[in-house]
Amino acid sequence: MKRILAGAIVLALGVGAHGFAQSLDELNIQIHGYATQGFLYTTNNNILTTHSSDGSPAWTEAVLNVGAQPIPKLRIGVQGRFFLLGNFGNSVTLDWAAADYKPDERLGVRFGKVKTPSGLFNDIQDIDPSYIWSLLPQSIYPINSRNSILAHYGGVAYGTFKLGAKAGKLEYRGWGGERQIGSGDGYLLVQAEAGLLLPNGLGGATYGAAVHWRSPLSGLMIGASAGKDPEWTAKLTAGNGALTGTESTAPLNIPSYFALYEKNKVMVAAEYSRLPVSITLQFTGLPPSYERIDYRSWYAMASYKLTSKLTAGVYDSQQFNRQAALGPARYSKDWTISGRYDFGQYLYAKAEEHIIDGTAVGYDTDLNPNGLKPNTKLTILKVGVSF
Amino acid sequence: MKKLILSSLFAFAALILAAGAGAQVIVIANPSVKASGVSKDDLKDVFTGNATTLKDGSKVVPVLLKDGPANEEFLKAYVGKGDTAYRAGWRSLVFSGQASMPKSLDDDAAVVAFVAHNPGAIGYVDKATPHEGVKVLEVQ
Repeated sequence: MKRILAGAIVLALGVGAHGFAQSLDELNIQIHGYATQGFLYTTNNNILTTHSSDGSPAWTEAVLNVGAQPIPKLRIGVQGRFFLLGNFGNSVTLDWAAADYKPDERLGVRFGKVKTPSGLFNDIQDIDPSYIWSLLPQSIYPINSRNSILAHYGGVAYGTFKLGAKAGKLEYRGWGGERQIGSGDGYLLVQAEAGLLLPNGLGGATYGAAVHWRSPLSGLMIGASAGKDPEWTAKLTAGNGALTGTESTAPLNIPSYFALYEKNKVMVAAEYSRLPVSITLQFTGLPPSYERIDYRSWYAMASYKLTSKLTAGVYDSQQFNRQAALGPARYSKDWTISGRYDFGQYLYAKAEEHIIDGTAVGYDTDLNPNGLKPNTKLTILKVGVSF
Repeated sequence: MKKLILSSLFAFAALILAAGAGAQVIVIANPSVKASGVSKDDLKDVFTGNATTLKDGSKVVPVLLKDGPANEEFLKAYVGKGDTAYRAGWRSLVFSGQASMPKSLDDDAAVVAFVAHNPGAIGYVDKATPHEGVKVLEVQ
């Protein structure tokens, strides 16, 4: 699938070479970026692989985006990111690198490494300057798996159809390609800490579709998406390589239903999603073992712009693993209040308080060696700059 | 005492009138744009990156003012957002690879000049700004 990315880069270079005949202004080259620094403090437990119970500043992100539009119907761009959150990241990764051709309002195509437009916020979940929250609802947008679910190698087709003056508009997105969940991803963290390693990560084909109905009621959008992954298989090791085998995930269907109302100073949104995963672990010479996870996740959120610079918001985010044993590890309930202050167009600060009940989301065992308390409060302070 | 109350009322009324008499914004387009008018919904879609054509099929490219009263008035009247929230919306599109940031120009004269010289360009300026070389779109 990297060939698709290579193709996009070759196309970009080709267009760039064509563009040498043009002035930089005509190419509409733009450079944007943002950087954020976060601080986390928890009353119980260490969260997101940080030493948050002592107070942790280990959350830094910096993004650089370069784009060009050599002709009106074609845009090309690339975005890189430095990401550090506790033990996650601490490296520069490619967010996306794509060419986008849009001949008509009803059909556009984007290919290369592209954002996956599933759910309500998936394709913008990493863009901190664009929303009030320090952490999006972790039940559906877990930050420790963000790099894996944010984008895929392949393409997206998209477009908009007007349904008439009284019926609103219908936006669609269809995507396909290959996704790679890195060996250090949050989804794989618990089993990695148990000694079950996927040295090459886990990945394979992925495809899906989403529709957004922009209703005639101004500001109201209702949508649904479905992501499909066929069976994925990857190399598995345990006991420092003494055991080798494979880990397979059965074909996966990830439905998501969502609604967003955004008008003037008010934003209200809600989303429901299900993630059912069946895993088979097969070590050579041993009988297979099976694990089944069935996450049912939802959130409801609202925010209000109190002044031109100050926004306040609240959300309730919940996740249940229907296959887990009864107890705090089966669920996570997260009540969050948040505030954002914009000093101007470029500089902002955020403060957020989470009241978390249950331990299903965001914890690891290495940094909580004495076990997890069933609830905690998490305070986040964040400052960001964007241009 | 009555005089004082009357004077205060007049002063208050004058203040209200003065506040209401701020920038009156007009929407302008390059003469290549076929439409003579634009609906509020179309205008909002174009300036929030959700559409690149008007109802009659005219392809348009938005251009923004960096700041100022005409900018505030346009965003409040036709987009329903303040400047910070509005630009945050564009950043979502830019950083997710869905759009390029529209040009932001320093003043009304620069917007008029840009719109006049770029086919498909659509912008907004204070009504009092001289706007030769562009067409004024009626917002319906």
